Amino acid sequence: MNIINIAATDKTPKVTLNTENNTFEMQGNSRPENVRDFFYPIIDDLKKYFEKLNEEKLEVKAITFNFKLDYFNSASAKFISDILLIIQKYANAGFNIKIYWYFDDGDDDMKEVGEDFSEMISYPFNFIMVQR
Amino acid sequence: MKNYDVVINHKGAVSLSVVDYILHHLKSFLNHKVHDKITRKRVYTLSVECLENIYRHADLKDEDETLVVKYPPRFIIEKISESFIIHSGNIILNNNISDVSERIEKLNALEQDDINDLYKESLSKAEISEKGGAGLGLIVMAKTTGQKIRYDFEKINDKFSYFAMQLNLKK
Repeated sequence: MNIINIAATDKTPKVTLNTENNTFEMQGNSRPENVRDFFYPIIDDLKKYFEKLNEEKLEVKAITFNFKLDYFNSASAKFISDILLIIQKYANAGFNIKIYWYFDDGDDDMKEVGEDFSEMISYPFNFIMVQR
Repeated sequence: MKNYDVVINHKGAVSLSVVDYILHHLKSFLNHKVHDKITRKRVYTLSVECLENIYRHADLKDEDETLVVKYPPRFIIEKISESFIIHSGNIILNNNISDVSERIEKLNALEQDDINDLYKESLSKAEISEKGGAGLGLIVMAKTTGQKIRYDFEKINDKFSYFAMQLNLKK
């Protein structure tokens, strides 16, 4: 079941959170007209998801986060960092979390920003280069 | 003679649909004329940040609207050989001049590594304003160009000035 299920537009990414395979995915471009209206509900749902897992002591083997972003503006970067801080909190609490950061072959800046994020939360990312 | 192109030349109000129109036009130019993927992405990134700044700060009250006719927002991209110059301009409250110039001067005084550190530090600390800005735009500009940000304020009257900024992106 997807507790987050947002379709992509030209300006906003596709975002899903599937509770069957415990996978969060964000894919596409991000420069929403109203960045708060777009990201706040996602962040709320993600927090609720983790709180539920935590309270009910549910056995989850691994939680996967896939970031497959082509472009995001600076305001979106702030919210992506908020999402990563939530991940950091629950990783520190003992959850097995894997973060995959996808970037196009040749888009070194996208890889670098992933490295910045990884450093920011002191948590390893798996970098995956995509050939286009 | 170096290859010269004016990629975008916009003077006038900047609404969301104008931002979309300019970015659409820019994307098509970049895809057709610029081979290097990193340069394409960087020009796009800088343009979004400039245009969103102009859009967010276009908050003149009705009585000041006539000023916009005389001092319209400006967004120009020039391509000289493989390098780009991005000019942006908008009216700014005189009260905000010292804040903006301090922020730019601080960035201009930093080395690239320090700018990257400042970016990482600012990401987690950033607060989103009512207007949807995270205060990260100028840092992204300094980080993306690796060059000093050139800027100027031209006084219009006791309340407003015109803020002009120039970003250089060298290949």
